[in-house]
Amino acid sequence: MPALSSTMTEGKIVEWLKKPGDPVARGESVLVVESDKADMDVESFNEGFLAAVLMPAGGTAPVGETIGLIVETEAEIAEVVAKAPAAPTAASAPAPVAAVAPPASASPAPAPVAAPVAVAAPVASGRVVASPRAKKLASQHGVALDSLRGSGPHGRIQAEDVERALGLTVAVPRVAEGSGPAVVAAAGSGAAVAAPAPAGDAFGRPGESVGFNTLQNAVNRNMVASLQVPCFRVGYTITTTKLDAFYKQVKPKGVTMTALLAKAVGVVLARHPQVNAATSADGSAMSFPAAVNVAVAVAMEDGGLITPVLANADKTDIYSIARNWADLVARARSKQLQPEEYSTGTFTLSNLGMFGVDRFDAILPPGTGAILAVAASRPTVVAGKDGSMRVANQMQVNLTCDHRTIYGAHAAAFLKDLAQLIETNPETLAH
Amino acid sequence: MNSTTSDAICFQPPGLVEFPRAWAWQQQLQRRLLDVPSGPDAVVLLQHQPCYTLGRGADPSFLGFDPMAPPAPLHRIDRGGEVTFHGPGQLVLYPVLNLQRHGADLHLYLRQLEGVVIDVLAALGLRGERIAGLTGVWVDGCKVAAIGVGARRWISQHGLALNVDGDLRGFAQVVPCGIRDRAVGRLVDWLPQLTLAAVQPLLLQAFAQRFGLRLRPPSRQETLQGW
Repeated sequence: MPALSSTMTEGKIVEWLKKPGDPVARGESVLVVESDKADMDVESFNEGFLAAVLMPAGGTAPVGETIGLIVETEAEIAEVVAKAPAAPTAASAPAPVAAVAPPASASPAPAPVAAPVAVAAPVASGRVVASPRAKKLASQHGVALDSLRGSGPHGRIQAEDVERALGLTVAVPRVAEGSGPAVVAAAGSGAAVAAPAPAGDAFGRPGESVGFNTLQNAVNRNMVASLQVPCFRVGYTITTTKLDAFYKQVKPKGVTMTALLAKAVGVVLARHPQVNAATSADGSAMSFPAAVNVAVAVAMEDGGLITPVLANADKTDIYSIARNWADLVARARSKQLQPEEYSTGTFTLSNLGMFGVDRFDAILPPGTGAILAVAASRPTVVAGKDGSMRVANQMQVNLTCDHRTIYGAHAAAFLKDLAQLIETNPETLAH
Repeated sequence: MNSTTSDAICFQPPGLVEFPRAWAWQQQLQRRLLDVPSGPDAVVLLQHQPCYTLGRGADPSFLGFDPMAPPAPLHRIDRGGEVTFHGPGQLVLYPVLNLQRHGADLHLYLRQLEGVVIDVLAALGLRGERIAGLTGVWVDGCKVAAIGVGARRWISQHGLALNVDGDLRGFAQVVPCGIRDRAVGRLVDWLPQLTLAAVQPLLLQAFAQRFGLRLRPPSRQETLQGW
């Protein structure tokens, strides 16, 4: 996603002018991006083929996010498609956690409109394989590419490898963070992008066996522990046309979709204490927390995931929630969260909407009673009771519950209330 | 913004122009700058025949009518933003600029266009305001100017529409810019004596000043197709 303004934090993809598989000429418009009341045709800087669209039209992506992949030859399209992100698996984490975006790769801030579409270099034997940005950096600084060892897939030389050779600072690992109706996996921009961008970041290379790190081990323990919990799932389709319009109004004030969803869930949880409750550790009682603390699952770049907690989400205004969330994510990134900041959630929110995922379910984080999986909001033809038809934005949510504490009727009442809030008066979230 | 002043061609087609013609002119001017990015900027000042336009990403639910049978011609065009109405009594300014020379920043460009209208209002003794998140210019909470732009390789198209003394009923059939709870206004509501002819030079002057341009009439070779 190119930066069309120094104050642009995210952009909406209005339209893809090319389909995956289409040839793209240098300088040809590939897509249209909208930010505020301005549209910009985004052009390819390289000749090749559009191999993959990672963010469909109508979606919003933060600046620097990889939104599509262009390859040099037709043959590489298949390769990119083969490596395309598999459906993310729901996972559970150290503290309360759930399914989240796949890990993100480091992403240097893109220059205005430079390399809007990441270009995957061909993987070929017998020659130096390097990303375009790595090539550019190397030529700018006079670094011999064949003297470097690439850290990318198949030994591809990334911009970071060149920066490292130059002794420049390498962008810190990033945490994916919520934005739009989604957890965002900030995939590398420009050069850092290996062929199968967001989910393509594997922790090992083919043929290797890689040990889990501490965080991954913690996640694994929780996932396995959740198998002891008798879970069931309830789904609901929520119309978000009004929420989307409200989001547009408050976005300039720094309010993110994550903040809005956390607030909405918090407000409704306060009215449904049973869904905020959990089975006690020894299984003998239902415990009702004193506060509504909404945790939001976030993938860590180097594996594992974490659930920063928005404490008292029901009583905190959306502006403070948005600020708190930004602060939590920033500190999660630098691994400075205190345990109470990621382990005190009473309910968890997991969002994969930004990948265009239309439905998924999440694994219940131990110690809590429920987790809500939120999928993408998409324009849908909706039939009215009177036989009329209209187009509305709709998203599917899926609540995973511990049946010892939460029964189907509790889950259904909670979801109905949540849908009503989002569908009829989302503007009350500002109160 | 710019310390040096450069020439820009100013086209002022008379009468009421149909939207597709004005759009074709802008595309012609945009192509010219795409071919020769160092060429002069241009601006077109005109009034439209009644019509509705929608941005590429616009939500059709903001139309109060059947898009197949609109009360005035409806055009989906390559700018950002939701539906708006154009008609007589509204001054429409279409700057076709190489924005690389004006900051290369689309949000900044939108703010500068708002600034142009605010300057015009100030010259008339009115206080124009920006509302964060709602691009446009507002007087006493009413929207008097709508803004929507599009760009290719930083060459701009479309621009701003300032309601001076026109009939605002065209706006009543849509949700202008997708904003439901705010009224649209026109300058004669505050200044009943005001004429379009009086605002026209103020608008060009404010535009030239904000963008550091010296407006000049087109040369014999610089013609718009079909004008």
